[in-house]
Amino acid sequence: MACGLVASNLNLKPGESLRVRGEVAPDAKSFVLNLGKDSDNLCLHFNPRFDAHGDANTIVCNSKDGGAWGTEHREPAFPFQPGSIVEVFVTFNQTDLTIKLPDGHTFKFPNRLNLEAINYMAADGDFKIKCVAFE
Amino acid sequence: MSVKFEIANMHVKQGSTLKIKGKIDNDADGFVINLGQGSEKLSLHFNPRFRESTIVCNSKDSGKWGQEQRDNHLCFSPGSEIKFTMIFESNEFKVKLPDGHQVTFPNRLGHSHLSYMCVKGGFNITSFKYE
Repeated sequence: MACGLVASNLNLKPGESLRVRGEVAPDAKSFVLNLGKDSDNLCLHFNPRFDAHGDANTIVCNSKDGGAWGTEHREPAFPFQPGSIVEVFVTFNQTDLTIKLPDGHTFKFPNRLNLEAINYMAADGDFKIKCVAFE
Repeated sequence: MSVKFEIANMHVKQGSTLKIKGKIDNDADGFVINLGQGSEKLSLHFNPRFRESTIVCNSKDSGKWGQEQRDNHLCFSPGSEIKFTMIFESNEFKVKLPDGHQVTFPNRLGHSHLSYMCVKGGFNITSFKYE
């Protein structure tokens, strides 16, 4: 996957939210939004797969602790389309992260690393970030 | 000054507009918004200083600062929420301040795209977008 935008020193605290808007490529196979402490310590690896790794239209979420992946979580909702603009809203809490998808569907993913702040965000794959907002 | 926000691998091309919103700390002496290719290669170093009541702009090429440019039009103050529009053109940067005043600074390094942004000091970004 092409290396996308990397943001650091975000200092997002529990109770705060992050809104990310970007363009999904017309021929998108998959994209990634990573959140955490750094590239090896991710409290959320958010990976919508249009057609990748044997998955079709599935969101795969995971965590990475000291470089080691955790257990995958598959979310059946898939309100994404290649060639469109998508917005994902993530609320960070001490115990979990709440992810709100473009159609309003929300789900939770546990904060397995017990991170006290999110300082790192990276996008990868067929997705170009255009707007980042903190709330 | 402490780094507040840093972005690498941006793909901002000439002709793009960056919009940055944020809040200035109540006790801020100043802050910095850097744009370029990396921390030692800055096409635009934009540095409002409240004590001197001025905005200092400069460039940095391979770690070496260029010649400073100063503008005394400082239309914002500590504690306020502000929005900047930065237009990246082939020959210059145009920074629109909250009251519409425009600061221009030449694109001395001549780069055709920006991949790096960094915010330092007493400014907390609440939103960042480019088009």
